[in-house]
Amino acid sequence: MHVFAQPFWAPKGGSTDREYEDAFWPRKRMETTATCLRFAVADGATETSYSGIWAKQLVRYLCRSSGNAPFDGDGFRRLQQRWSTIVGRRPLPWYAEEKVRLGAFAAILGLVLYDDVDREGSGRHWQAVAVGDSCLVQMREEEVLVRFPLAESAAFTNRPYLLSSNPAHTGRVVDHVRNMDGTWQTGDAFYLMTDALACWFMREAEEGRTPWRVLRDLDTSDEIKPFREWVETLRKEGAMRNDDVTLLRIDIT
Amino acid sequence: MPYTAEISRANPSCFLFLIDQSGSMADPFGAGESGRRKADGVADAINRLLQNLVIKCAKEEGVRDYYHVGVIGYGAHVGPAFSGALAGRELVPVSEIGNMPARIEERIKKVDDGAGGLVDQSIRFPIWFDPVANGGTPMCQALGRAKAILEGWLAQHPACFPPIVINITDGEATDGDPSAAADAIRKLSSNDGEVLLFNVHLSSQRATPIEFPDTEAGLPDQFAQLLFRMSSPLPAYMRSIAQQEGYKVSEGTRGFVFNADIVAVIRFLDIGTRPSNLR
Repeated sequence: MHVFAQPFWAPKGGSTDREYEDAFWPRKRMETTATCLRFAVADGATETSYSGIWAKQLVRYLCRSSGNAPFDGDGFRRLQQRWSTIVGRRPLPWYAEEKVRLGAFAAILGLVLYDDVDREGSGRHWQAVAVGDSCLVQMREEEVLVRFPLAESAAFTNRPYLLSSNPAHTGRVVDHVRNMDGTWQTGDAFYLMTDALACWFMREAEEGRTPWRVLRDLDTSDEIKPFREWVETLRKEGAMRNDDVTLLRIDIT
Repeated sequence: MPYTAEISRANPSCFLFLIDQSGSMADPFGAGESGRRKADGVADAINRLLQNLVIKCAKEEGVRDYYHVGVIGYGAHVGPAFSGALAGRELVPVSEIGNMPARIEERIKKVDDGAGGLVDQSIRFPIWFDPVANGGTPMCQALGRAKAILEGWLAQHPACFPPIVINITDGEATDGDPSAAADAIRKLSSNDGEVLLFNVHLSSQRATPIEFPDTEAGLPDQFAQLLFRMSSPLPAYMRSIAQQEGYKVSEGTRGFVFNADIVAVIRFLDIGTRPSNLR
């Protein structure tokens, strides 16, 4: 399969790029031909500390894994320990120490595209895994084929279950892991989005508009505005919640 | 819609705590079984509220100034109650509160080990206030002082999320009926809604603790009933979070607790995504 992937990102309005706490892979625009490709976005929770580091760790964990990357096995526990080691390197003020004790939290969404020519029938298939409210949509021309894991704008809240770096908060994680699979065709597109953008997308579609065209046209001669300017306009209009925003656009060509 | 303004460093909100430091606070808390005085309860409540507020606003680089915070003491005197470097200041950015407690104590806390057990963990607990019990209970005067401070804040921050006032007291005002002064505070507003006034009643009565009631029927005495009537109803967004946290709420639910902890209010504040599995 031949894939063209491009990330877009913007920090929360009023915050700096350094304060951005989403994460994504690939980090840069990528055009490649392969039989298996992995993608991910993650969204560190505002109210927890070092959640940007945790989001990056989760993205790396999903994209470097060769098979399924469960969130309750030894590999995941090592990831949690690694976070503690990274953030515990230097003495912290009392409040930062307390935040470390609570742990970091993030939503994660991973997608794997397969082009397995030896397999009959569903050789061109995909698998996705999610915890939290980062979402993907699969587009075929003007049709939204799949919305995952959330399917409507009303499902977004400010209190999602998120993956924690603290094992005390991941005891029932298996109840919250969502899996999905499907097949793809040449010409399909996948949009991986963190919650503020995903919520906007769902609402626009529910109201009969065509949000996929806006995302499809970003960074082309047809774009309405450059990504950050466009996000800023939506925030000012109250059409998008002020939050870190990430889009990973994947076109199978 | 009211109570939807974003709380940010560019558009901060305000917290004002009023703490009763009158002579009656030396009386026992509850029926005195714990050997604690009401003044100990007040000091504990304000220290925990400040601690939780600072933690809420803390990120890896420091504490973000989402709030400016004041503490007004009332007893022998009425006025700003911070000591040390913050002494005499009416409203202080929350980062300064975080960085300037009067002292930090070491305490042992039992925490979940993630494998179904509990382990002892040493934590640092900041202290800003020690118990004080002295003089009368000039609650009307304290509410009046709060009103003046909030008017100044609102003039400078007209679009802020409405300030929250938390009054911690045994309810026995000695300078008249505080109802009118409380009304005057609740009528102040920003573009985003009216100021919220919540009350914490610490009593010597042996009675079951009550959290966020929706009626004064069943409250143990006239002081509790008065403080309930002085308290703002929880706005819809707070009710929704309270419900998610397991509180029984209705449209009549007010920001009032009797011999109970009001720290939950800090969890009701919305400064961005808060995981549902973080309690």
